[in-house]
Amino acid sequence: MSSVIWYMYEFARKSWAEKFAGAKSEHDIVEKPDRFRDFPEVFKEYCIGCGACTAACPAPGAIKLVRDEDTTDMEGLTYPVIVMGACIRCGFCAEVCPTDPKTLTCGENHLIREEFTILPVDKMFVIDDYLCIRCKKCMKSCQVDAIHEEDNKILVDQKKCISCGDCLDACPVKGALKGIYISNIEEQKQIINLIVQTLEKTIEDRQEDLKKLSSDKIFKMEYPLVELKEKAINIIPKEEMVMDLMEKITDRLKMRIITWDEEKCTKCRLCVEECPSGAITYNKETGVTRNPEKCLRCSTCHQTCPFGVAGYYLAKFLIDKNSDGEDVILITLKPSQLPVVD
Amino acid sequence: MLDALKDIIRKSSIHVCLVNSGGCNGCDIEVVALLSPRYDLEQYGIYVHNNPREADVILVTGAVTEQWKENLRRIYTKAPEPKIVVALGNCPISGDVFNQEGGCVNAPVSDFIPVDAEVSGCPPRPSEILEAILAVAPGAIAAKGRQKE
Repeated sequence: MSSVIWYMYEFARKSWAEKFAGAKSEHDIVEKPDRFRDFPEVFKEYCIGCGACTAACPAPGAIKLVRDEDTTDMEGLTYPVIVMGACIRCGFCAEVCPTDPKTLTCGENHLIREEFTILPVDKMFVIDDYLCIRCKKCMKSCQVDAIHEEDNKILVDQKKCISCGDCLDACPVKGALKGIYISNIEEQKQIINLIVQTLEKTIEDRQEDLKKLSSDKIFKMEYPLVELKEKAINIIPKEEMVMDLMEKITDRLKMRIITWDEEKCTKCRLCVEECPSGAITYNKETGVTRNPEKCLRCSTCHQTCPFGVAGYYLAKFLIDKNSDGEDVILITLKPSQLPVVD
Repeated sequence: MLDALKDIIRKSSIHVCLVNSGGCNGCDIEVVALLSPRYDLEQYGIYVHNNPREADVILVTGAVTEQWKENLRRIYTKAPEPKIVVALGNCPISGDVFNQEGGCVNAPVSDFIPVDAEVSGCPPRPSEILEAILAVAPGAIAAKGRQKE
């Protein structure tokens, strides 16, 4: 009985009656949130008809590729059509669409925003399959399981990699696993060219010493790193990156050096015909000349010349400290053991 | 006179029966969201009964599995006239992701019972469900009620 009285009191209250009479739904319940992923939008003029969207779509029949009828001026457009009754608004189609700008856009799909998909790292880790000994130490050290074995090759999954560098510490082979800087590609190329050209010039400047070298001896020289480093830092102002780059370049760089001894030349012109790139030319006034810009360092001239005009040497490099404690590039030169026509 | 009064009352008082004919439950959760204070379904005079014998509107979700083929018809016949059927979500419309090659669903629902309205989406937003019921139900119920006479 008391509850009935309470109900009657509740119903009689003015505020209740007012609320009842003036009840209305708030507008925000029909508004879609900003990041709501609605049905995909189609911009048919961009479509290339690759069918990636239909392949990625998890709902059968949600996307149909249709083709307009040909007109007299142009071929009919091919484009996807979204069937509202089957689309689940997952946005996969927009994610896979390869055209730029996208034919299909679907809300603010987080996978379309590049800053979310590409990890903000400056190093990419890659495994040199040739040097890899498949010890799988990197696999064990990886905290995110980004390194896996596939087809007897160890591979790094770039999508999973967080660039922590643990694998690099674990790798027992120098150069088998590398952290490559993926930014400033053009500048990196410039530095590589600078280093290689400087080193080659340094070696060629000492041709006279090389010519005296007997075939079973090796020739050693040093090149101070300071100057080269300064030049490289002018191109990329990051010391850490420059040093890393220099070490990688010199580590497994094998340079072929061709020397040219004009005094021995008898102008027989055998090499002119043999040179595959046309770097060796004959002129009545200047005699036989070699253009180093064109030269491929293939050693054909060295093997052809019966008088030993062209010398052929192999150079290897290593960054180390010399006896005074300065950083230097150690250069080791070895005459090639290629058979020469006598 | 009495029928006219009935029509007026029915327009603002809709009883809903929710039938899940084998879906993922996503749409049903959206219906639950409708019952929450944010959407407050009952302020529109809609009441979810889950009893087909009292229902004016049958909300069908799900892609009609083997077991539901017969039961769907049974539920439909149990509902008193006038009744309308709203297909909720993509499953009853097209089978959605379940309608794969070699799948065991019998979508669409309209193969088994007549469907008056379709709400697409996987799942549809609660406001879309509400919009569909309110747009279709009062008019359809009133119209069907009059046709009976």
